Amino acid sequence: MNATGIPLKEPSVSAAAGATEQLERAYIDASTRVPVLMFYTSAMAWLILGTVLAGFVSFKLHEPDLLSNISFLTWGRVRPAHMNVMVYGWASMAGMGTAIWLMARLCRTVLRYPLLLLAGACFWNLGVLLGVCGILLGDSTGYQWLEFPGYAAIILFVAYTLVVSWAVLMFRYRRGEQIYITQWYLLGAFLWFPWLYAAGQLMLFVVPVQGVLQSAVGWWYANNLLFLWFGAIALGTAYYMIPKVIGRPVYSYHLATIGFWTYALFSSWTGMQRLVDGPFPAWMITASIAAMILAMIPVATVGLNHHMTMQGYFPLMRYSPTLRFTVFGAMSYTVFSVVGLLISLRSVAGYVNFTQTSIAYSHLGLYAFFTMVIFGAMYYIVPRLVGREWRYASLIKLHFWASAYGIGLMTLMLLAGGFLQGADMENPTLSFSETVETVLPYLRGRSLAGILLTAAHFIFAYHFGLMLLGLGRTSTVPTFLNPVEAEETSGGH
Amino acid sequence: MKGLAPLFLGIFGTFAFSWVGLTVLPNWQIGHLNPQSDEEGTDIYPQPQSGMFERGARVYAANGCIYCHSQQVRPAYAAADIERKWGDRRSAPRDYIFERPVFLGKMRMGQDLANIGARAPAEQASPAPTGAAPPGGSPSGGTSPAASPAPQGGAPAAASPAAKQSPNPSPATQGASPGLAGSPATASSSAAAAVASSPAAPQGSSSPPAGAPPPGPKKGLASPSPAAATNATPGGTTAPSSGAQTAGPPWPIQTIGEPPMYSAAWHHVHLYSPRSINLDSNMPAYRFLYKKRRISDARSVDALQLTGSDAPPEGWEVVPTYDAKCLVAYMMALNQSHPLNEAKSAGGAPPAAASPAVSPGPAAAGSPAPAR
Repeated sequence: MNATGIPLKEPSVSAAAGATEQLERAYIDASTRVPVLMFYTSAMAWLILGTVLAGFVSFKLHEPDLLSNISFLTWGRVRPAHMNVMVYGWASMAGMGTAIWLMARLCRTVLRYPLLLLAGACFWNLGVLLGVCGILLGDSTGYQWLEFPGYAAIILFVAYTLVVSWAVLMFRYRRGEQIYITQWYLLGAFLWFPWLYAAGQLMLFVVPVQGVLQSAVGWWYANNLLFLWFGAIALGTAYYMIPKVIGRPVYSYHLATIGFWTYALFSSWTGMQRLVDGPFPAWMITASIAAMILAMIPVATVGLNHHMTMQGYFPLMRYSPTLRFTVFGAMSYTVFSVVGLLISLRSVAGYVNFTQTSIAYSHLGLYAFFTMVIFGAMYYIVPRLVGREWRYASLIKLHFWASAYGIGLMTLMLLAGGFLQGADMENPTLSFSETVETVLPYLRGRSLAGILLTAAHFIFAYHFGLMLLGLGRTSTVPTFLNPVEAEETSGGH
Repeated sequence: MKGLAPLFLGIFGTFAFSWVGLTVLPNWQIGHLNPQSDEEGTDIYPQPQSGMFERGARVYAANGCIYCHSQQVRPAYAAADIERKWGDRRSAPRDYIFERPVFLGKMRMGQDLANIGARAPAEQASPAPTGAAPPGGSPSGGTSPAASPAPQGGAPAAASPAAKQSPNPSPATQGASPGLAGSPATASSSAAAAVASSPAAPQGSSSPPAGAPPPGPKKGLASPSPAAATNATPGGTTAPSSGAQTAGPPWPIQTIGEPPMYSAAWHHVHLYSPRSINLDSNMPAYRFLYKKRRISDARSVDALQLTGSDAPPEGWEVVPTYDAKCLVAYMMALNQSHPLNEAKSAGGAPPAAASPAVSPGPAAAGSPAPAR
C-alpha cells in the first residue's frame, strides 16, 4: 500500500473548516492541559509503584522466603496492595484523565471548572495512598478488589463525586446535537462506576449482606468494574483513536449501537461465573455464564466494526504509536472475552477455578486490553497537552514490544500453569504439594514476563518525564515509529 | 444517537437490571438463612463465633491468606475436593451465615481450609458439630465424658503440652496424648479420654473429626476414637500405619518430633516455619506474628517446639503473639463437618437431623463461644 495517501496526523478535514477547527481544538486541548496532566502524572507514579509491588508479588510467590519477615512486605499484603495500586491508582486515574480529555474534545467546548477536577485528583490520590498504606499495615477488609479500608473508600468516593459532577456539567455545555459513540461509553462509565462502588460498599460494609452473598456481591463488583468501568473507557477510547488516527469514519454506526447496548446489558450480568460450583444457587452462576456467552455479541460487533474501519489501513501501525497500541488493545478485548468465556464454562471452570488462570484473565482485561489502549491514548494526548512531540521513536518501540511480549508471555504462562495446576488438583492421587510444584516453573516464567513489563513501564515513565519537563521535540510532525519518507522510496509498489 | 434521555435511561436501566438480578434477588432468596436445628431445637448449626475467632478472621484478612487458601468444598460430582479430604460434603450457603468477611477464596496455592479445624487431632477437634458424633451406640468414651467437661486438670494448657509430648511414634497414643489424658491403660480408652479432655481445645466437642475419615467405617467401630485419632493425624509417623489412609496423606508425611498434624501447636510451627514441616511448602513464613524472647524462669507453655536452624538459641523461646493465637483459634474453628440437610455427605451417611439418636447437645451446644 502506498503511504502517501494516508493522513498520518489529523483526519482530512475540508480546507475551509480546517483552520477554525484546528484553532478550536488547540484551544480545547490547552484548557485540558493542567487537569489531564495531573491525572496522567499521578497515574504514572502509581504505575511505577504498582510495578515495583508486582515484582515483589511475582518473585515472592515462587521464593516464599524473600523478605517474608517484614510484616508489611508479606506476600498476602503486597499482593492486594499491588492490585489496588494498579486498579485504583494507575488504571482509574489514567482512564479518568483520558476520559476527561475525550469529553472536552467531543463536547467541543473548553474545559470548565478545572478546580473540580484538580480537587478530585488530589482526593483520589489521597484515597489511594491511604488505602495502600492501610493494606500494607494490615488494615485490609479482606474482600477482593475492595480491600481498601473504609476511610480510604470514603475519600475515593468524594473524589469521584467531584469528577463525575464535572463530567455531567460538561455535558450540559456541549455543542452539537450528535453524541458520538465514545461519549456513550464514557457517560456510561462515569455513571456506572459510582453506582457500582456505592453498591459494593453498602452491601459489604454498611448494611452487609449475609454469608456467601458477600462473595457474590464482591465478584459482581469486580467483574462490573472490569467491564463497565475499565472496559467502557477503553472501548470508548478505541472508538475515538482508531478513526482519528487513520482519518476515516467508523465503519458502521448501527453496529456500534448494537455493540454498546448489548455490552451494557450482558457484560453487567457477569461475575458469578467465577464462583462455579461454589455454595450458591445454581441459577446465579448459570445466569452469569449465559451472560458471558451473550457478551460475545458485543465482542463480535465491536471487533467487526473496528476491523472494518481499519480495513486497508493496517500498515499504518508501522508508523503511529497510538494506532499500534490501540489496535493491540482492541484485539486483546476479543482475546480477553474469549478466554473469559472458555474458563467460565462449567466443565472447564471445574478445573481452573482455583488456579492462576483467573490471574491471567484479570491481566488480559486490565493490561492487554485496557492499559494498552490507554498507553495508545497517552501517546496521542500528551503531545497535545505539552506542545512537544515524543522525543525518541526507539523508546516507544521498546515500550511497545516489551509490553506486548511481556503481557503475552505472562498470559501464556499463567494460563498454561493454571490449566496444569487445575488438572493436577483434580487428581487426588497427587499430593497437594505436587500440584503447587507443577505451577512453580510457570510462575518463574511469569516473573520473567514481569521483568519485561517493568522495563516497559520504566521506559515509558522516563519518556513521559521528558515530555513533562518540556524536553520533547519541537516539531509539527508527530513522532512516527518508523521514518515515513524512507518507506515511500523503498516500497513503491 | 440523539438526545440524552434515552442514553441516560438505557445506562441506568441496564445497570439496574444487573444490580437487581445479581445482588438483590439472591439476597431475597438466600440472604436471610437461619441456623439449622433438630426438632427439639438443640443441635444448632452453625453457631455464631466470637472473641478470638473474630480477631483471628481479621488477622486472616489482614495478611491475605485468602489469596492462596479457599474455604469452600465443591460437590463430589464437580471436583476432587472431597476426595482430597478437604471435607466430607460440599459447602452450602448455610455454613457461612455468621461469617463476615466470608473467605470463599479464588485461589489454591495452598490447601482448602474449610474444614481445617475438623482435621485437627481428636482432642482438639473443634467447634460444635455435636451431631457429627456417630449416631446410635455412641461409645461411652465419645460423649459422656464430654457432657461433664474438664475432668482433667490443667485444661487450657493441655493443647500445647500434648503436642510437645507427641514424638511418641505410636499413632494411637500420639493422637491421644496420653500423658495428660489421665493415662488409661489401653490405647482406645486413652483416645476416648482424650476426646473427653476436649475443654482444652477451643471448644468442647464430642465428635471425631469428620473431615478426615469417611463416615462409613467409623460407625462400625465400637470405639471410633483410635481410628479417628490416627486419621486426624495422618501419617502420624513417617509411615502411616493405619490402614484407613488410602489416598495418601493430604499433606506430606510428618516427621518425628513434631506436634500432631493440624493441632494448634502444629499450626504455630507451620506458620513460623512452613518448610520445617513440609520441605515442599510454598507458604511464606509469618514470623512477624511471633516473638523471640529470653526465658525468664520457666519455659512458656505456648513456646513453639522448633528444631534445627529454626530453634532459638539456648535460653530463648519463640512464643506466639496474641494475633497468632487468634489466627490459630480461628483456623481450629473452621469446621463444616456438621451435616446439613441441603448438602448430603459424600459417604451417604444420613444427616444427623434425620437420626433420632442425637447426642444430647453436651458442652458444645451449651457454649457457642469458643472456650479459649
